[in-house]
Amino acid sequence: MLNELPTETPAELLERDAADPHVPEQVSRGFWGEAWQRFRQRKLQMMSLAFVMFLGIVALTAPMIAGTKPIVCKYKGSIYFPAMGYYVRSWENPIFRKERFRNIYPKNLKKKDPESWAVWPLVYQDPYRRVRKNEWVDENGEGRPGNPSGTKGSPSSLNWFGTNQQGFDVFAQMVHGTQIALSVGFVSMGIAASIGIFIGALAGYLGGWIDILLSRLIEVVMCVPSLVLILALVAMLDNVTNWHLMAIVGCTSWTGIARLTRAEFLKLKQMEFITAARALGANRWRIMFRHVLRNALAPVLVPITFGIAAAILIESGLSYLGFGASPPNPSWGTLLKSGRTAIQQMWWLIVFPGTAIFLTVLAYNLIGEGLQEATDPRLRQDSH
Amino acid sequence: MTIAKLSLTLCCLLALTAGCSSSTEAPPKAKQSEEQAIADESTDSAETSETEEAEAAPSDQPFVLGNAIVDFDPPTLEELDESADWQDNPVLDSEAQLRKELAEEEPPEVSVEEALKLKNGPPGNNKKILTALGVLADADGKNVDYDQDFVRHVTGDLKTTNPVMVSSVTDFEFSDLSGLGFLSFDRHFNYFAPQNSVVSWQTSKDGLTDKMVIRDDLTWSDGKPVTAHDIEFSYRLIMTDHDDLVIPAVRQGTDQLKLVKAYDDHTIVYFHKTALATNKPNMIFPILPKHIYEKTLPEDPSMKRSKRHRELEDHPVVNGGYTLSKRVRNQEFVVKRRESYYMHNGKQVRKKPYFKSVRVKVIEDANTALLALKKGDIEEMLLRPEQWESQTGDAAFYKHNTKVTAIEWTNFFFQYNVESRYFADKKVRWAMTYAVDYEELLKTICRDLYQQSQGTYHPESWMFPENAPKIVQQDLDKAEDLLDEAGWDDSDGDGIRDKMIDGKLVPFEFALMTYTSETGIQAATLMKECLDQIGIIAHVKSTEFTVMQQKNLDHEFDMTMGGWGTSTDPDSNENIFATGQNRNYGQYSNEEVDRLFKEGRKELDKEKRAAIYAKIHQILWDDQPYTWLFYRPAFYAFNKKLRGYHFSPRGPYNYSPGVSSIYVPAERP
Repeated sequence: MLNELPTETPAELLERDAADPHVPEQVSRGFWGEAWQRFRQRKLQMMSLAFVMFLGIVALTAPMIAGTKPIVCKYKGSIYFPAMGYYVRSWENPIFRKERFRNIYPKNLKKKDPESWAVWPLVYQDPYRRVRKNEWVDENGEGRPGNPSGTKGSPSSLNWFGTNQQGFDVFAQMVHGTQIALSVGFVSMGIAASIGIFIGALAGYLGGWIDILLSRLIEVVMCVPSLVLILALVAMLDNVTNWHLMAIVGCTSWTGIARLTRAEFLKLKQMEFITAARALGANRWRIMFRHVLRNALAPVLVPITFGIAAAILIESGLSYLGFGASPPNPSWGTLLKSGRTAIQQMWWLIVFPGTAIFLTVLAYNLIGEGLQEATDPRLRQDSH
Repeated sequence: MTIAKLSLTLCCLLALTAGCSSSTEAPPKAKQSEEQAIADESTDSAETSETEEAEAAPSDQPFVLGNAIVDFDPPTLEELDESADWQDNPVLDSEAQLRKELAEEEPPEVSVEEALKLKNGPPGNNKKILTALGVLADADGKNVDYDQDFVRHVTGDLKTTNPVMVSSVTDFEFSDLSGLGFLSFDRHFNYFAPQNSVVSWQTSKDGLTDKMVIRDDLTWSDGKPVTAHDIEFSYRLIMTDHDDLVIPAVRQGTDQLKLVKAYDDHTIVYFHKTALATNKPNMIFPILPKHIYEKTLPEDPSMKRSKRHRELEDHPVVNGGYTLSKRVRNQEFVVKRRESYYMHNGKQVRKKPYFKSVRVKVIEDANTALLALKKGDIEEMLLRPEQWESQTGDAAFYKHNTKVTAIEWTNFFFQYNVESRYFADKKVRWAMTYAVDYEELLKTICRDLYQQSQGTYHPESWMFPENAPKIVQQDLDKAEDLLDEAGWDDSDGDGIRDKMIDGKLVPFEFALMTYTSETGIQAATLMKECLDQIGIIAHVKSTEFTVMQQKNLDHEFDMTMGGWGTSTDPDSNENIFATGQNRNYGQYSNEEVDRLFKEGRKELDKEKRAAIYAKIHQILWDDQPYTWLFYRPAFYAFNKKLRGYHFSPRGPYNYSPGVSSIYVPAERP
């Protein structure tokens, strides 16, 4: 890097730029631009980011990748999007229930309206049930065999990642499980970040008795074990969903973020630009959340990223132990759980979800590490 | 938890999952295990309750032995003999009886050597293995290797060695191995008095009194004689109300007796409240040595706290064929053969127990247990269906073991809370029954190993009706029509059926409670899928056994999955289906059913009784308080060195001779 240093003195440079009208004005990239510049230089971190983005696309389009409901179909003159039912049940038009389709679309569409057409997901498999024999008939009029059950469901052309003991397709479960893995991470850390940043900002900026109170609150919450809370919740609720798990993980894992935010605020509020903002008449909230927060955000992003990885592990762990969302819950942890009982026969129930969990958690950790290095000047490689 | 509730919980623990009979003809758990809930993987859930009791402060209440017995002035033995018109009952050696029965059956199709080479899978092989390896020891025991040990498997730890305080399946295991019975039943549920402990057993003509004369060569492990006074003392102890005395599992049934009285050292008389066909199981209860406990009980009615009781817990005085020799908490207990059981004054007076010692190992996880079995570390275990089907067909399993299956009268079902707003209407319950995809359930989930259920009694039982209900096939159209008729339709067009109840539109959305085993979750998930197809939302809630049990007792459910084993008498179903009964979790009520149960109990003629219970079966089927799903057979693995095992409708152990006929032959291939 030393070789790249300009050989001219600053005075000479200024003189030259002023004299030459063709030299463009140098615009500073800013903190985030600098951070991104440094982040993108790291191959592993960029690959991780790409992987997470890929998972995001898979999660968003899961019903289009694997499902037994058409993405779009024309039925009795109208256009419908039955696959939307995978997102929210009520988004699937009730006409198909009234007409007694019973979730078997291929046969019933043709039978009840020969003029109908449909665009199907990439893979005709369902994460919530076993595909039965002759449910799908190909162009030659040949019925497709049902999914194998028991230990016979090894990976095949119809079941790319095999099936579990009940005959549910593992690939379909993994694709739909991506939604759970990502949403658990993002939502729980979204909740944790909102609470943590708000509490930390208040404590750090306002100080005094508010700081003392909020710091004690942080310490109290740190003592609450999230696992015990989750188990209690699972026992109390009739229908445990992943949203419940996300809420609890989020509500109990904000303390680290709050402490970090508080420390940053304590440091930043002493800076000259804050004094300047105050002198200009900016109110307390504007200073806190417009001037201080944006400068405190970088170090806070790191624990959030690591927190996403931890949340995914918690959800997988809970599902593995049987304390996750109510069945059928196509979570990667649930797949691992079903593989545990037949580990010697059904390797595909361990390898595929295990790899997915490993790679996703690794990716988030690498991103977190990359962010840390990119945003913390002390850790910059080029600073040495 | 009240005593009543606790005892119910305990009953549910006496699961079919574990064997429980004795090597010395101890009392099989006829009474305690009447209609046991299927605690698939929660063998020791009563532990909590017991611990809670133990931690409570001692009560100031004075200890009065037998204070729960209703006043009754018994006649003298002479008066009784004069008026009773005694009818003799069988006094048998159950193994000899079984040997006689087997001799009348077809001989084994293959030799032992051939049977040991067979793999259980192809049709017919099960019968070949079972008949060849079920061959009993010679009557004189000359072909038995008496120096062998037997390593058994249980899923929970031994909590107590005191037979009166049993609370878990493992407690019963110990109690059965170390205890002596005075009444027992065979694999056909016929009651008899065991020859090794009883000289004669008579019932009065009016059925109100039973008289037994016990043998004079019975001894406790401390050398003192076992007498009729020990039986009376134990009865009085069980019928004692005291805050510190928690004897949850043994009181049920015993409390139906009017009195038990010892007239001399060997004559014991049981007085019944009424002459019922169901009186015999009430006479089965565990025995404690009077000479020890009459001194220790007044100072510590809890039987747990005092130094002497703690010593007795570690070194129990027993009257059966085996005595405790080692106990490692959460790992194992070992019992060794007791010479003074079968030898008296230098002479062998009863059958020598076949094993030198029985080691009972605690392995909670079924997969770990299977690995131990394959390695030869345990020598028998109850297999899960998935283990039977896919994990026990390899050479590693057949190196040391073989496996057998047999019919068991164990029934699984979905139960409705008929007081719930969803399931009060019979049409809705029938709609549920028609909604189940039985083919998927039986072939995919149950791996084609189970038989579809046709109601509460098993098709092979004597009370099953001749005009049996027809097997139900899934019929979603019919289910939807029935729901429409019952007023459950999708009035707001959101894809979920609903109904106006008390001016409010109620969607058909409820929690389906199930237990945490694989089959339980899979069956409930299938039901959810089926109901989703007809516009009903079911949330599957897999629930830990004790929580589920409590919710059942409190009727806090809409629909729950469950299973019942069988007792020795169909009358025990009254507890499940009669109005207001303890285990009528679904609050089902039908006056005719209530009446028929009462009638069936009083009727002593078996054929007439069969007709009564068949009628109950039909009424229950028509009312569908349950959607009956399947009957589960027994699946067991045994080490290849073992012989002499047979099955009753309660599995291979819980009858006489049960495990006491199992032995290792002196000469093995």
